[in-house]
Amino acid sequence: MANRIGIKVQNKVKEVVFMSLLRGTLAKRKLDQKIAKLAGGKKKSNGVKRIPIKTADKMKLLMGRYYIKAKIAEKDPDQKIAWITSGGPVEILHAAGVTPIYPENHAAMIGTTRMADSLCSVAEDQGYSRDLCSYARSDFGSILSKKSPIGGSPRPDFLVCCNNICGTVTKWYQELQRIFDVPLIMIDAPYQYGDDRPEAIDYVKAQLQEMMDKVGQITGKPIQWSRFEETVYRSKEALQLWRNVQDMLAHRPAPMNSFDTFIHLAPIVTLRGTPECIEYYKTLQAEMQGRIRNGIASVEGEKYRLGWDNLAIWYKIQFLAKKFGEYKAALVVSTYAKSFCYEAPYQDEKDILRTMAANYIAGYINHGLDYRERELLEMAEKFHLDGFVMHSNRSCRAYSFGQYELARRMEEKYGLPTIMIEADQSDTRSWSDEQIGTRIDAFMESLIARKNAAAK
Amino acid sequence: MVSGNGTPLEVFTSVCDDFYATARAVAASGRKVAGYFCSYAPQELLHAAGYFPVRALGRPGGTPRADQLLQAYACSLARSSFDAALSGEFDFMDLVVFSHTCDTMQNLADLWRSSRPNQRVIIVSAPSVTAGAAAHAYYRKVLGDVREQIEALSGPISDDAIRASIELYARHRDLIQRLYTLRREHSERLSGQDLLAVVTSSVMMPKEDHLALLEPFVVELEAAADPAPKRLPRVFVAGSVCQNMGFITALEEAGCMVVDDDLCMGSRSFSLPDAPAGDPVDALVEMYLGRRPCPAFHTAGFDPGAFLVERARAARAAGVVFLLTKFCDPWFFDYPHVNKTLEAAGIPGLLVEVEQNLPVPEQFRTRAEAFVEMLKAKAD
Repeated sequence: MANRIGIKVQNKVKEVVFMSLLRGTLAKRKLDQKIAKLAGGKKKSNGVKRIPIKTADKMKLLMGRYYIKAKIAEKDPDQKIAWITSGGPVEILHAAGVTPIYPENHAAMIGTTRMADSLCSVAEDQGYSRDLCSYARSDFGSILSKKSPIGGSPRPDFLVCCNNICGTVTKWYQELQRIFDVPLIMIDAPYQYGDDRPEAIDYVKAQLQEMMDKVGQITGKPIQWSRFEETVYRSKEALQLWRNVQDMLAHRPAPMNSFDTFIHLAPIVTLRGTPECIEYYKTLQAEMQGRIRNGIASVEGEKYRLGWDNLAIWYKIQFLAKKFGEYKAALVVSTYAKSFCYEAPYQDEKDILRTMAANYIAGYINHGLDYRERELLEMAEKFHLDGFVMHSNRSCRAYSFGQYELARRMEEKYGLPTIMIEADQSDTRSWSDEQIGTRIDAFMESLIARKNAAAK
Repeated sequence: MVSGNGTPLEVFTSVCDDFYATARAVAASGRKVAGYFCSYAPQELLHAAGYFPVRALGRPGGTPRADQLLQAYACSLARSSFDAALSGEFDFMDLVVFSHTCDTMQNLADLWRSSRPNQRVIIVSAPSVTAGAAAHAYYRKVLGDVREQIEALSGPISDDAIRASIELYARHRDLIQRLYTLRREHSERLSGQDLLAVVTSSVMMPKEDHLALLEPFVVELEAAADPAPKRLPRVFVAGSVCQNMGFITALEEAGCMVVDDDLCMGSRSFSLPDAPAGDPVDALVEMYLGRRPCPAFHTAGFDPGAFLVERARAARAAGVVFLLTKFCDPWFFDYPHVNKTLEAAGIPGLLVEVEQNLPVPEQFRTRAEAFVEMLKAKAD
């Protein structure tokens, strides 16, 4: 009897969640149409014609199912939920059967659906400074107001924070711990200025081991090593596929652009370590292979190729794609999409945990300027770049401070021009289409003039 | 002695009028100077190696050079210190030491190194988590490595020399803590701005010189009689680094007494526990991870709200003024919780955003006066 009621409740939850997701999707579709209309996107202006990526529909289903599962987990006392940072060691959670929730993903959705301004204001009214990261502000605003594009995130049983992406998450998660009064597992992944230090890898390895023990205590079931191993291998496979997909953008013309990769990184962040994630990137890879075979370009008549640095400007993805598209310029690589698939130089199949520790230190924004310069240069060469678009992101000091110097090095050492776009990842309040549009015009005109001059 | 004549307090105050004049004079006399960022830099190691460690706290004035390399949403401490470096004002530093704290300092360290290629920079990769065996083992390795990096410049540093420096710094810290006790218990004997001048001058002068002045100063104050009580509202000040003492002066001019603080250039830097016996580098690990944490760190179980309420009550403070450097993320994340905890304890707070390199704004004086009036009315 109790069981049947349980199923009934579950079905009801499914229905409610599905409807709220649907509402979110519909609202977003409406918004997309509105934006497209405002941008004059319905007309195929300047011959820019986009053939949509079919796998995107699959992602909506995949992510939808994931959120429904998470919502159901919230009602099931045996199913633990952990909130985790985008750079956190999620494999341990998957191996423990814990449902991971990503406040950063949620915040990106808030940014895309343009709910960030109002949710940030809610947080600001409660005393959070407007200078704080807009993801954190909109997350707090969403928790406080219970407003969200997907009906809110399920409540966490515990929190996992890895500071390999910034020190901001340390503070953000301390605040989440105060709000929810649940355990917080901190993984401190020291920032590397030169080659990755062995003692830092040992330090992270020790913390990962502790995390496995703690997660086992929280769920009441120690993590099975074989299951953990299997999860790590699945994760590795998915990461390789995601790398392959990004590498395919080196093809001229690129079969998709960086703005697409910002959308397609949701599964690698959320579901790496699961079979679904592997399936997803296999499908995407096959579609890209097909597009290359059939000569389908993300930007028709692609003439110029640019790299992107920093987080997406979620509320202006279409505006930027269209703006650069007008100049036949395609964004073909980004430090951001690559952030979620770094592999460390150190790899040892016999020590999975230490290899994992090294990989969690390895990301772009956990490294200093010289490393970042090498990465950018490698991208420029591999992807045949004509220049960089750098998003100087008010919300992200760890990512942004140093960009002026990197832009200078790219220009002086390698003759690669950079446009610096001063903006924010999700808070739209300091953005101006006109101002940024004019700067992009000036940048592209000068880039084209230089390229033409060089060709003569 | 390089700091001129006068009473100890006059010397302390005059050092604060021109932060780096003493250090420049020391450098000119031939002693090696190490500039350091953040109170987490292991000064005892630098001292033991023969360096005069001087704290980089920026300076007044614009930041046109730094603005070319660092976005406007970097804090004023970073921008103004970097600007001073880029204009050659910090060339007297033979060595610059950063210890990992917040994102801004983390990235500034690298920018500094790339922009001042002729200045040696050492970055101490301190853990961001302060508790647990893993963090301690990691920091032990880091400090051992830092010792070697310094030794490569200075020659061998003996364990005995490190122990002697730890001892010297401990004696100095003890005197500073006695001064804070005096300020809380006998608030009329020493003003808040004078206390801050003592504390700030201590990171701008050679420790031995400061100690020589501080010891008689504290002894004399402890023996002094209490002047007639002024019955002014007692205020606690909390925040980031606040090297512009004009804020404390303006607060006290508004009619209150600043009786204690939790500032980085204040009591927080002097909250290290005593060194345990044994290996001196092990001791440094325990001291720096065991100190009162800067908000950029994670200390399991530490509640900055409860902590501040306890401190404010111990100082019998009627209100708390937050002097937070604009863009200081670690503090601004804690602020809503800390302020709510204070409110719940019946202690009002006033939030002030500080641009370290600019003069005290007129508006601050008005707000300080209104706050003090409110505290007076509440007391009546």
